[in-house]
Amino acid sequence: MFRRILIANRGEIALRIIRTCREMGVEPVAVFSDVDSKALHVRMAHSAMPLGGSTPRESYLDAKKVIAAAKASGAEAIHPGYGFLSERSHFARAVVEAGLEWIGPPAEAIDAMGDKITSRRNMTRAGVPVVPGLVDPVDDADKALVEAERIGYPIALKAAAGGGGKGIRIVRAPSEMPSAFRTASAEALASFGDGRMYMERYLDEPRHIEVQLLFDKHGHGVHFGERECSIQRRHQKLIEEAPSVVVDDALRARMGEIAVRAGAAVGYQNAGTVEFLYSKGEVYFLEMNTRLQVEHPVTEMVYGVDLVREQLRVAAGEKLGYTQADVLARKQGWSMEVRINAEDPFNGFVPSTGVIGNLRAPGGPWVRLDAALYRGMEVSLNYDPMLAKLIVWGPDRGAAIERMKRALAELNVGGVRTSAPAALTVLEDERFVRGEFDTHFLNSLDLAAPRGGEDELVAAAAAIHRHLLARRRALSTGASTRAAWTQRSRARYSPYPPHAGAAPSSARKESAQ
Amino acid sequence: MKYFVTVNGRAREVELIERLGQLELRVDGRKLDLSYEEVDNLGQVAILASGRSWGVSIEGDEHNVTCSIAGRLYAVEIEDERERAAHAAEREATKGGGVVKSIMPGVVVKLLVKEGEAVEKGQPLLVLEAMKMQNEIGAPGAGVVKALHVREGEAVNSGAKLATLAAP
Repeated sequence: MFRRILIANRGEIALRIIRTCREMGVEPVAVFSDVDSKALHVRMAHSAMPLGGSTPRESYLDAKKVIAAAKASGAEAIHPGYGFLSERSHFARAVVEAGLEWIGPPAEAIDAMGDKITSRRNMTRAGVPVVPGLVDPVDDADKALVEAERIGYPIALKAAAGGGGKGIRIVRAPSEMPSAFRTASAEALASFGDGRMYMERYLDEPRHIEVQLLFDKHGHGVHFGERECSIQRRHQKLIEEAPSVVVDDALRARMGEIAVRAGAAVGYQNAGTVEFLYSKGEVYFLEMNTRLQVEHPVTEMVYGVDLVREQLRVAAGEKLGYTQADVLARKQGWSMEVRINAEDPFNGFVPSTGVIGNLRAPGGPWVRLDAALYRGMEVSLNYDPMLAKLIVWGPDRGAAIERMKRALAELNVGGVRTSAPAALTVLEDERFVRGEFDTHFLNSLDLAAPRGGEDELVAAAAAIHRHLLARRRALSTGASTRAAWTQRSRARYSPYPPHAGAAPSSARKESAQ
Repeated sequence: MKYFVTVNGRAREVELIERLGQLELRVDGRKLDLSYEEVDNLGQVAILASGRSWGVSIEGDEHNVTCSIAGRLYAVEIEDERERAAHAAEREATKGGGVVKSIMPGVVVKLLVKEGEAVEKGQPLLVLEAMKMQNEIGAPGAGVVKALHVREGEAVNSGAKLATLAAP
């Protein structure tokens, strides 16, 4: 086993890896940018190397700096976490060339799964089912009709140069094709200057289900069942769970077998995830994430495994030491994760920034909080908005939902708005509780609608808050009576209409100071 | 002291009378027995009311407060009588126009309207990018764009003035 490893990441995932290192007697080395010098991952590490810079590009994304820090710190291996350099094959290669061990898949495997077209081609060759569709775009409706027969209806037309939902049409029968193609193509031409269209089978009620893989360096690979991540918005996941309500033992075995085959086909090593789209009992390969996933803890809870420990073990050359049957025999209960992001669910999930003032962490049985939060932490736009992951386990899905609701009620993160209330709304929805949802579910909810029902109490508490605030200002020590009076009057809105003097906005600005 | 408190869009009247250091409280005319104790100076508050106990967190200034109870967030606006009158006068003066402010820090990627252009309610005025996400900022009401306060490529803070609309 390694004596010392460097963690090329920040935030909760750096801390997550540090914790396992501590338990294994491996010395964790942190890296940090200028703005992160006080961050929790720096304080919890065995040692910490400054990278300089404040933007990701100047720090955590600078491969040369990270490798130099690893060499200088005496680390034997690098764990990339997720995001940043974790899926850059050039970095994986550079790490190995620098004589360090790479705690991740070989660079060739990252490349083979790198972009959608390459991975789709590789997977088709390996006999992995992909969403039926075309690799190359078509440019007229007649060709589209011919291709549509091969793909099978319903069909999704997507602008070849597209994005943002423009130039997308769902075609359910051949008779709809000519007009749908014409309008979608015109829209695409107007928006992107390219009227060509991709064609793909449209999947009704799609669910996002993914399979956790682990391969050692000796050709052995196992899967740790599935996670469902259908509660998402613009591909940003909010709630994940393991297992999935739509996956039974037979489907789990089938998906697991396909995922292991996909990994083996590209010579995979270490931990990785194969993402599938599930629609009406059928599964289709979507892509492979060649790294540890954000939502890996739900798998850890259900299978009683520390995936980071397994990553370190196999990277150090150890054999898995267990079979697929051993893994599945450990499966127990249900786990859920809620991502606590610094964003405002009442305002279309716009990013929220500020300084964390108030913080109350949930606790109790089978509750896990993976976070790098602390009071006084500044949430800026420089980094990912994810502040924390709240994970619970329960003997069954119903118990896990109730436990998550309880834990969310205990959690307080002050200073920024968070996605937590939106998660609570999902957990209280009957359709979610019954397991009837797909990837469109979160968009279908009216998250801005007022909920909670303690309005009267809140009104009273807010009035008292203001009352005490005003009194404290008036009595603040060191201030003369007149100064306190001035301060108090400035703190208020200008009591007159704008034409009479100072604009209300400037008065408000002063009150914030 | 009488306060007009809007909780999640619904207005309530809260009356606070301080007698010999004791607070007497009425919400919409109804007397409420409530014990309010600050746990720390960061916003944690212990409340006992109507036979229930609440661990509440309250943050904000005199006018805008966010309150969390049992995982639920309540957005609260508070005005006293003077402020209420002033705001009503201000609204009357601008009639649906007014200043559009940025709800988040970001970079103005694109301006979608010109000064002098008439806009409908909800019509996108500009595109603001934050955390690699592009967000269209819409007009709060129908009106005419009186002034644009930002240029394309400009970085803005939360609360920065983006545009001023005049009544149609």
